[in-house]
Amino acid sequence: MKFSSILNSALKALGVNKTRTFLTMLGVIIGVFAVVSLVSLVKGIENFIVDRFNSLGSNLLFIAPGRSGFNSDPAIAFTNNKLEEKHVDLIRENVGSDLVAVAPSIRLGKKVIYKTKNYYSTVVGTNEDVRDLVSVEIDKGEYFTKEDVNVSAKVAIIGPSLVKELFGDSNPLGQSIKIDNNSFIVVGTSVSKGGAQDDRVIMPYTTMQDVLKVKNFSNIVTKAKNPDDIDLVIKKIELALLKDLDKEDFTVLSQASVLDSFKNILNVLSIGLAAIAGISLFVGGIGIMNIMLVSVNERVQEIGLRKALGATSKDIGVQFLIEAIFISVLGGLMGLGLGFLVTVLSKPWLNAEIPWWAIFLAMGFSIAVGLGFGTYPALKAAKKDPIEALRFE
Amino acid sequence: MKTPVIQTKNVTKIYKLGDNEIGALKGVTIDIYEGEFVAIVGKSGSGKSTLMHLIGLLDTPTGGEVLVKGKNVTQFKEKELARIRNKEIGFVFQSFNLLRRTSALENVMLPLKYSDVPKSEWKKRATELLELVELGDRLNNKSNELSGGQRQRVAIARALVNTPSIILADEPTGNLDSKTGDEIIELFKSLNKKGTTIILVTHDSDLAKIAKRQIVLKDGLLVK
Repeated sequence: MKFSSILNSALKALGVNKTRTFLTMLGVIIGVFAVVSLVSLVKGIENFIVDRFNSLGSNLLFIAPGRSGFNSDPAIAFTNNKLEEKHVDLIRENVGSDLVAVAPSIRLGKKVIYKTKNYYSTVVGTNEDVRDLVSVEIDKGEYFTKEDVNVSAKVAIIGPSLVKELFGDSNPLGQSIKIDNNSFIVVGTSVSKGGAQDDRVIMPYTTMQDVLKVKNFSNIVTKAKNPDDIDLVIKKIELALLKDLDKEDFTVLSQASVLDSFKNILNVLSIGLAAIAGISLFVGGIGIMNIMLVSVNERVQEIGLRKALGATSKDIGVQFLIEAIFISVLGGLMGLGLGFLVTVLSKPWLNAEIPWWAIFLAMGFSIAVGLGFGTYPALKAAKKDPIEALRFE
Repeated sequence: MKTPVIQTKNVTKIYKLGDNEIGALKGVTIDIYEGEFVAIVGKSGSGKSTLMHLIGLLDTPTGGEVLVKGKNVTQFKEKELARIRNKEIGFVFQSFNLLRRTSALENVMLPLKYSDVPKSEWKKRATELLELVELGDRLNNKSNELSGGQRQRVAIARALVNTPSIILADEPTGNLDSKTGDEIIELFKSLNKKGTTIILVTHDSDLAKIAKRQIVLKDGLLVK
């Protein structure tokens, strides 16, 4: 029998029981949909993080306290933080000629009060050079100056979220906000970039040290003049800092390596989620096998008839196998379609995308499920004795 | 001398049921020639169904030989037997055995799908045969939209579609009322007149009388 005829017979047989065929397909539809949409959403999260990260600037280097990285206990960075002013100076003295600028950064979560309103914000203390490293665009007013840093001026630049929540439509410039009972004058507002950056209050790090009583730096940010030298620059910074600190007291991270770490975490997450979703695909396969076995028993007479009319065991087996594969592949395509739909619908919130590998994986698994779970029923059908089958009346 | 279309030479068939061996056929030799109308008659348990299965190449004998057009097919493989069934034998069953919810035309075309006949001829052939059994106006009716008699005619058209050497009809009127049954018998008679070899398997000795020759079986042996 020609393959096209077998295909035709298989499709007709499935068409006779449309509802059942669809319900059987549902397992695969949900399985593939789950795999594809989860992977696509994780990809969206990755895109989001990469975008945010790159909007900071490029080729940045971060010196973080402790042997941090992403594998160790983050608490060490807080309890055993030794980064301070002299380390910024050490870097400037030893590696300064290779760097665009060096900026310390202190971060603290604080409640910001203006008159009767308050807003929980991240207060960031840094210097005036930070603008050469990280883009901080000023909307109204001015960025603070070197002089402000030198005298620990009680000035602040506030993000658009704070402007909206605390000041509404009125002009924040020159107004006084309160943090921990200390007053700061708003000298500028930053341009909206979306996300956490909009919630920030930026002030000189010296002010934070003197007024808010924080001694150590959360990290030090810098940038190599020549991106090709980045590995060498990292080594130089490490050597400079080792003059005062132990190996365990700090870590130099490049922006790229931080981003890679994030991507690694998300890849593992993605594979993990796909594997969990893959279980439902497996269950869908069992559903197909179940229904195909029922179908073989129901159609004993048809099998006998076909054999009497000249079908070989192979013809019968192939027909049933094609039915199983058709169910799983069509189910897979429908699941993929739904996955695309979710990806498109999530566009306003998340730049989700379905990676090619996920499409191939999902479809490959669908075919494998059809083949894997369709073979046993197909063999059973093929082995039916035509006499036995025709006696079934 | 002409070669018989179907021959059995001293065929036996023994079924094992647990420790018991049941001899369904105990050595049966028959010759059926082209153009004959033969009835295989016998009560339930006489071995007539077993003989029909052997003639229809649906089963292989325990002993003896089955020959189709002089060729011994006893040792043939499943695939070769399927091919001969397709080409040489047209089955008509008691319960019609049409594919459900499938049109008359599709049902008649079914054996062609397993043959070498080019696809372009399928529809033409099937239509001609449905016209022959006077169902030219029911081509696209689904099997469940046809009466019993009409279904059996579709089955007969299906049996004829590959121009087989013999038509093997197993109690073809068993599920029909007597009037419709008579019409089917008339159809067989007229087909036989046109040269088709017909083997009618039945338990009904009255019905068997319409055949030109009767092969009577009793307890696995040939009586007449």
